[in-house]
Amino acid sequence: MACRAYGLRLLTVFAMAAVLVVGAPPADAQKKGGVLRVGNLGEPPALDAHWTTASITETLTNHIYEGLYSLDAGNKPIPMLAESHTVSKDGLTYTFKLRQGVKFHNGKEMSSEDVVASLNRWGKQSNYGKSLFAQVAELRAVDKYTVEMKLKEKSAIVLISLAVPNNFGAIYPKEIAEKFPPETKVTEYVGTGPYKLVEWKPDQYIRMVRFDDYKSRSEKPNGYGGGKTAWLDEIRWVPVPEVATRVAQVETGELDFADDLNLDAYDRLKASTGARPIISKPYYWLVAVFNKKEGLMTNEKLRQAWQAAIDIEPIMKNVAGGRAEFYRMDNSLAPVEITAWHTKLAGLPWNEHNRDKAKRLLQEAGYKKEPIRFMTTQEYKWMYDFALLSKQQLEDAGFNIDLQVVDWATLVKRRNNSKEYDVFTTGMGAFYDPTHHIYLTNSWPGWTSDESILKLQAELARETDPKKRMALWEQQTRQFYEKVPVIRYGDLFGLRAARNTVKGFNEATERIRFYNVWLEK
Amino acid sequence: MFAYLVRRILAVIPVMAVVVTVVFLLIHLIPGDPVSVMLGPDATPTQIEATRRSLGLDRPIHSQLLGFYGRVLRGDLGQSYFLDRPVVTAIVERAEPTLMLMACALLVAVVIGVPSGIVAAAHRGSAWDRVLMLGSLLGVCIPGFWLSLNFIYLFAVRLGWLPAAGYASVLTDPMSAVRYMVLPAFSLGFNQSALIARISRSCMLEALQQDYVRTARAKGLPNRAVTYVHAFRNALVPVVTVIGVTTAVLIGGAVVTEIVFNIPGLGRLVISAILRRDYPVVQGVVLVTAATYVLINLIVDVLYAFIDPRIRYD
Repeated sequence: MACRAYGLRLLTVFAMAAVLVVGAPPADAQKKGGVLRVGNLGEPPALDAHWTTASITETLTNHIYEGLYSLDAGNKPIPMLAESHTVSKDGLTYTFKLRQGVKFHNGKEMSSEDVVASLNRWGKQSNYGKSLFAQVAELRAVDKYTVEMKLKEKSAIVLISLAVPNNFGAIYPKEIAEKFPPETKVTEYVGTGPYKLVEWKPDQYIRMVRFDDYKSRSEKPNGYGGGKTAWLDEIRWVPVPEVATRVAQVETGELDFADDLNLDAYDRLKASTGARPIISKPYYWLVAVFNKKEGLMTNEKLRQAWQAAIDIEPIMKNVAGGRAEFYRMDNSLAPVEITAWHTKLAGLPWNEHNRDKAKRLLQEAGYKKEPIRFMTTQEYKWMYDFALLSKQQLEDAGFNIDLQVVDWATLVKRRNNSKEYDVFTTGMGAFYDPTHHIYLTNSWPGWTSDESILKLQAELARETDPKKRMALWEQQTRQFYEKVPVIRYGDLFGLRAARNTVKGFNEATERIRFYNVWLEK
Repeated sequence: MFAYLVRRILAVIPVMAVVVTVVFLLIHLIPGDPVSVMLGPDATPTQIEATRRSLGLDRPIHSQLLGFYGRVLRGDLGQSYFLDRPVVTAIVERAEPTLMLMACALLVAVVIGVPSGIVAAAHRGSAWDRVLMLGSLLGVCIPGFWLSLNFIYLFAVRLGWLPAAGYASVLTDPMSAVRYMVLPAFSLGFNQSALIARISRSCMLEALQQDYVRTARAKGLPNRAVTYVHAFRNALVPVVTVIGVTTAVLIGGAVVTEIVFNIPGLGRLVISAILRRDYPVVQGVVLVTAATYVLINLIVDVLYAFIDPRIRYD
């Protein structure tokens, strides 16, 4: 495009000169240089990984910061800033050896005191951190490169908690981790990641440039972890709130990458000569969350009736714009992509669309057509669509649904107040461990307080033998379909798009990462 | 005259007081909570409470309102929850794109609207008249966002003549600034040009029926001179008033245009602030916009008093 700045042309000239000097690279060889412009839907509320679960913050901060562990292609923990770890025989002491010579963006070498300060902060604010630190008795620096974690009880979730990419245990320099208390977001951004933040102009762009002193792991790239190379000179994140504009800009080449697109753009992108569509999996499984603290839905029979009544396939098909590429029918609570925890259980009462059973359960529940307040939003079209279709199906089975359409900010506020609703819509993203499924806890809206569910969750947190854990998880899944704390609909996938010049992008990970990505221009 | 001025200026104070209160109450009374949005979808109620406390949102609303009055009087609009900067700074940063967009859209509206109205009136009943008035009817009817998206598809995606969206400051890169501004200015200005065209046409028709026009014709002046010199200048006065009104309408229209074309202006600022309940920013932008309106009205009133002594009433 002629509108591009001269700087880029100059850069191209330099790049060409460099190629001439070094000799022409073979086809598809990685190339250093260039600015990758990524369009996303808005501003992050913070660039503090400990502070918020917002997915846009997750995406951005994972380029700046790193944790002790990361996830491999099968979403299992692998070391990142940690070199290795040992566990004492009683299972109560974890000793982490740190990698040496890893530098922060401010030039300081990362050491055990940074790790201790950062994880302590994370343990007070992040959901994953808090659930791990509930089991931690003490975290201390043994020497410059060794950290020791003493546990109160045996724990199965130490490594996975340190590896989750969302709301993650990013390592900050000690000075920053201690300067900002957990409830205040960090506003100085110094990490060990392959890119460093240089400029943040709200609603205009966030610029990250290559961190030249980045020390990569020696392994090959693997999932979110492994070796990372910053081929790009710069990643420029451009908030483009209007989704149609994001599509147009990736078609014209004003953006190199666009995330969170509407599914109806798929055909246009497929026909485009310069860009290609990418289906992102897993995205969400659609969920109706019941208020189990007070009101109508505290009645288990009523929840079972809902589960029996709905016919999920037509709902999913509609939400996915009629395209089979964008949805998947599956009853496992962990998506297929989380290989370690995906279950294949037969005979679960999922997607029964059995109207007689639903009517019988309604009768047993003593339901007298009282209106059920079902809260949704049009801000996310898929939520509104599946709520509307559910309403129709449920009313055919004898329910009386009062659909309340509010904006997203209102929904997330109201869902914390048990007096204001009976059901709300949202999506369940990837949870990497059975204990991370928030809808099975008492602290998340909807308040699952069923004792048998919580008991299994506690056992899952303590049990360290993988085989026994899997058995417990299968038991929990069966129990889920019996107690029905929420309704699991099908899996919905997302759509993103990249210019054909974007190479090396890992399409298999759920969230976008641009280390190991280069531009072919 | 002096007493009139003082009265007008004093009248501004209660208006602004009402604006400040209404703005504050409106944004605080609608449901929704900035903290839940900030902390993300999986935040727990305990976390949310802690952050609410640290932002002072747990205080009763009247005490928050009193604090807000005090800060506004000191010229302090507070600190944005999301943007990590004072609201005043955020507004100053975003003013340039919005002002540029409005100026360019107004230019487009006038340049298209006034000549089409005059040509249509001068050739009343001709094919020109019909085509232009049909065009302006379409202009009034077509929603701005639909036009914007189709402009993007045609001129950026299909033809590749112009960038689809974005903004460059005219101060740093004038060439890019013009290229970025063409589509938004036309999408926003086109709707308004339709209104201006219709008003211009009817004013022009009225002027063309005046006695002095007949006299000019009787004198044997060429048709062109009669239309463009005698009638046009007299038809201009109501047209200028409409252009003034248009400017106000553009402020509203600019919000949609800024979103579609990804222009980092005040409209986008206030929309994203509403969606994430960034109270200080919403209050600040609405307050500044309202103050601008009030100020313009004040200036117009004062100007009237200068132009027409009868308006002074005393």
